[in-house]
Amino acid sequence: MRVEYINPFVESAFNVMREVLQCDVKRGELYLKSTSMPVMGVAAIVGLAGDVEGRVLFDMDKPTALKIASTMNGEDLASLDDLAKATITELANMITAQAVTKLHELGFRFDLTPPAIFTGENMEVSNQDVEALIVPMETPQGKVEINVAVRERA
Amino acid sequence: MSVQTAERQQAEVRDEKKERAEKVDYKMVTFSLAGKEYGIDIMNVKEIANAGRFTYVPNAAPFVRGVYNLRGDIISIIDLRVMFHLPAERKNDDAMESLLILRVDDHVFGVIVDNIDKVVGVSRAGIQPPHPIFGDINVKYIKGIIENQGKLFIILNVEKLFAVKSDDEQPEAAPVARAPLGAAVMAPQAVIDERTLAPVAGAAAAADVNAEFVRETLFAFKRFGVSAVNEAWFLTRYAEWKASRSEADVQLREVAEADEFLGPFYSPSTGALWSTEYADAVLAALPPLQSRSINVWNPGCGKGYETYSIACLLRRAYPEARIKIWANDSDLLAISMAPNMVFSPESVPEQYMDMMVKGRNGLTFNQSIRDSIFFEFHDVMNSNPVPPVDCILCRDTVSFLSTTDQNKLLADFGEKSKHGGAVILGTNERLPLDGWNRTSGELVSVYVREA
Repeated sequence: MRVEYINPFVESAFNVMREVLQCDVKRGELYLKSTSMPVMGVAAIVGLAGDVEGRVLFDMDKPTALKIASTMNGEDLASLDDLAKATITELANMITAQAVTKLHELGFRFDLTPPAIFTGENMEVSNQDVEALIVPMETPQGKVEINVAVRERA
Repeated sequence: MSVQTAERQQAEVRDEKKERAEKVDYKMVTFSLAGKEYGIDIMNVKEIANAGRFTYVPNAAPFVRGVYNLRGDIISIIDLRVMFHLPAERKNDDAMESLLILRVDDHVFGVIVDNIDKVVGVSRAGIQPPHPIFGDINVKYIKGIIENQGKLFIILNVEKLFAVKSDDEQPEAAPVARAPLGAAVMAPQAVIDERTLAPVAGAAAAADVNAEFVRETLFAFKRFGVSAVNEAWFLTRYAEWKASRSEADVQLREVAEADEFLGPFYSPSTGALWSTEYADAVLAALPPLQSRSINVWNPGCGKGYETYSIACLLRRAYPEARIKIWANDSDLLAISMAPNMVFSPESVPEQYMDMMVKGRNGLTFNQSIRDSIFFEFHDVMNSNPVPPVDCILCRDTVSFLSTTDQNKLLADFGEKSKHGGAVILGTNERLPLDGWNRTSGELVSVYVREA
C-alpha cells in the first residue's frame, strides 16, 4: 500500500472515533497481513475505486458494536437492531469519507461505494493477492480493527 | 538396385513435401508488430479496418485504447503492442490505426497492430509448435509457427488471448481484458536449485563448528540468512574474522559483534545517494532497455535513497522513457519519510543537483522524479502485485531473510522479470538462479536474464 495513503486513514479513524465517542482512543501498532483473517462479529465494509481499487473494513465484536452505537445515539441499545447497524455503517462511512477527502487534497482520486454491514459468527474475510494494512484502535467500548486493502490499478 | 530404391524414396519424400505445401487448409491474416510477422486464424477475423479517435475509457487496463463505434456496435479496442510490451509508435489523436476486428465466441472487438499485410493460405500440417523460449510473447498465447515464402509467421492463439473466462490454471484472472495481463506475469519460472540454497552445511563449513554457530547467531541477531546468495562472501569474511581473533573469541556474543561482522557486507552508498562511480558501474552493467516504458521493482528500499538514485540514473539515461518504480519496504518508519525526503545541499552529490528543487526545508527531488516512484508499505513475503518489470533493484535485502523466504523471493524475481530484464543485488550477493548472466564487475552485482 502506498505510503501516502496510510496517514489519512489512520488520522481520520482516530479523529472521527474520538469525536463521535467523546473519549480517549488509543491507536495500536500498524501491521500488514495477507492471509485470510477472522472477523470478530460485526463488519462494515466500504469499497474504494478510482486511481486505486480496494476496500476498507471495520471489524469489531458484537458487544463493542452495541456499545459504540449506544454512545453515538446517546441511548442504551439492547440489541443490534436496524438503528444500531445504521449507526455502525455511518461510522464507517464518516471515517472513510474523511480519509478520502484528505487524499483528494493530496491529489489522489478515490470514489466510495455505499457501506454495507455484515454480522454473524465465525466469519472470515480473505482477499487473495492483496495485503491489508491493519490499524487497531482501542476505545473504552472495545477494540475496533480497521482493515485497509487498496492497491494501485495495474 | 539399392541406388534405385534410394532415389525412389527420395522422390517420394519430395512429393510428400510438395503435396503438404500445396494443400491449403488454413488461412490466416498476417500483420506485423514491432517488425515481426504474426498471423491470426481468418475464422476469428471479422473484418479489417482503419480507424482512429477511439473514445477513452477511464480506469481501463493500459492496453485498452478505448471503445469504437463500428457501424452501430460499440466494440472495445485493444492495443496488442501495449499488451505484449512491444514498442508502439505514438500517433496523434487524429491518425488512423490499423485494426483487425476479431470475433471470439460472441465477443467482437478490435485490436491495433502496426501493419496488416494480407491473407496467407498455408497447410495446417506445416504449423510447428512454438518454442518455449520465445521472447516477447508468452508461449501460452502462441498457437504455432509457420513458414511461408521464406518468412516465418507466429500464429497467435486468439481464443487464449482474449478468453472471457480463463480456465483452470488461473483462478484469480478476471474478465476479458484483465485476464491476459495477469497471465503475462506468469512468465516461465526460473528454477531454483533447492540444494544450493538450503542452509549449507557444506564440506568447507562442517570442518569448523564455530562457523556453524556464527551462521546461526547472524540469523538470530540480524536475521541474516547465509545461503547461496551470500555464501562466498560469508566464507571469506569468516576466514578473515577468525584470523583477526583468538580461538576462544570467534563466536558472536552480542548484536554489536554481529554488526561488526556484517560491517563490510553492505554495498557502497548504503543509506545515501549513489556516488558517481557506483551509479556509472550500475548503468554500464544494465542491458540497454528498448521499450518506452521502464518498470522497476525495488523491494526493500528502506529510506528510499537507492530508489531516488536509480530513478535519476534511468531518467538521465532514458530522458524520453516513462519510468515507473515500485519501491516497497516492510519497515513503516523507514519508508514513511521516503516520499517527501529532504536533503541538505552539502550532502547531495553533484550529479543529482539538476533534478532537485529548493524547498522550504532544503532540497527535494523534482516532481517528475517523484511522480515516477510509488513508495509502498508492503511485505514482499505477501503476494507482490507488480507488473512485469525491466529491472529489479534489491540490494542487501535478500540476505536478510530466512532461507525459505529467500527462495520465495528469488522465485518471484523470476516470475516478475521480463526476458532480458536485470536484477541488481548487493555488491556481496550472488544470484543463484539458472538462466541469468552476470554482466558486471566487482563493484556492483548485476544479472541479466537470458532473452
